[in-house]
Amino acid sequence: MALIVDEKQCDRCGTCISVCPCNALALIDNLTVDTALCTKCGTCVSICPVGALKINADRV
Amino acid sequence: MQTECDIAVIGAGPGGSMAARSAASAGKKVYLFERNSRPGTPVRCGEGIGMRSLINHSDARKEWIRKDVTASVMIAPDGTRVTISDIDKSCILDRERMDYDLAQDAVKAGAILEVNTPVTKVTRRADGKYLCVTPKGDTLARIVIVADGVESRIARDLGWSSRLALDDIESCAFTRVTSALIDQNTCVFYVGSTVAPGGYAWIFPRGNGEANVGLGMLGERCKSGMPQEMLLKFIDRELPKGKIGPLHCGGVPVTRYVRPLVRDGVMLVGDAARQVNCISGAGIAYALFAGKLAGNVAAEAINGDAVRFSHLHNYEKLWKKRYGKQQERSFALKEFVTHHTDDAFLNRTAATLVKKQPGKIKYVTVFLSTFSRRPLLMLKALKLFG
Repeated sequence: MALIVDEKQCDRCGTCISVCPCNALALIDNLTVDTALCTKCGTCVSICPVGALKINADRV
Repeated sequence: MQTECDIAVIGAGPGGSMAARSAASAGKKVYLFERNSRPGTPVRCGEGIGMRSLINHSDARKEWIRKDVTASVMIAPDGTRVTISDIDKSCILDRERMDYDLAQDAVKAGAILEVNTPVTKVTRRADGKYLCVTPKGDTLARIVIVADGVESRIARDLGWSSRLALDDIESCAFTRVTSALIDQNTCVFYVGSTVAPGGYAWIFPRGNGEANVGLGMLGERCKSGMPQEMLLKFIDRELPKGKIGPLHCGGVPVTRYVRPLVRDGVMLVGDAARQVNCISGAGIAYALFAGKLAGNVAAEAINGDAVRFSHLHNYEKLWKKRYGKQQERSFALKEFVTHHTDDAFLNRTAATLVKKQPGKIKYVTVFLSTFSRRPLLMLKALKLFG
């Protein structure tokens, strides 16, 4: 499982960062996921206003 | 390369730029870091503000105001239109212009503006100074003013637990629409679970047949991509065939302001401090006021050569005195509205209000008539205000 960011959809607004319980997300140029911290809880997925985040069951 | 300064401000929005400007005006060496290439772009805002707040808290310029608005209309779930005369005249801003000018004003006052410069990490050294890390190099500062918005990670890195719960954030999508159907003199708010669960949709006119059109919904009731989908449906329904501009999105914190607002050598300002009206989602006036104040207090602390909590605490005290109670009330009301009301309640409230003479409805009337026939709810609400 992995959290996937759709770069085309993502508006870089940072809403997901503010709700992430693990502080796993950061915005530098693009949205980055710290895979060591991310627990794939899906909080960011549900809050994303444009649906740019997904939890993928497949390996990346 | 490492540089050194008195005060580092993170984020060149209205709060950060005001802070940088007031601290630099007091003769301090100030760095102002902005992640984007140009302050004010992209706009993530409905751009509405009370005229009086704008004038009180900034050297407002004519060019910042796109449109004066004379009335606000709330549309209930059943379509009832309630006209609310504004206590304070409102206007719709040109944030692109305003934010850019505010950052330039900070530069004119002597602040060093670094654009395209995200601050990725801030660490406190043993000597109490803060090291601000950016891809371009590091800056050492005695005081850090954190104004990096709702997404602030820096506050968390520095020990605040400012993560937002899902019922303390509105997930929003917005765009600009050109349509002949837009009433250019009125701000229109649509409430109800079918339009915007736990939030509202808005149409704010900005002249030339244009309006900012957006929608915010409570995080708790949001599913992936829902704000965007609901916004597009809303536009299709209310402004059919309107020309839709680029769509942007963002989060609005609707919670109590962060406590404490300061720690040794650090101050929080604006959305990063959750200084937002929880009912309207308005945060520009609070940020302008808080930024200016934080910059002044920081400069005084540097003058006194002491930057610990007790030397910065005056910022929190003065913020609390000016807007603390108001913000607290908006939070209590938001808690009440989101957890204890439904569409039927909103319809009943609108039905009561619409019988009143238009133009005589003030926010207090809205509140009183909301509760007049529901004494138990009134008690509950008052408890929240406690």
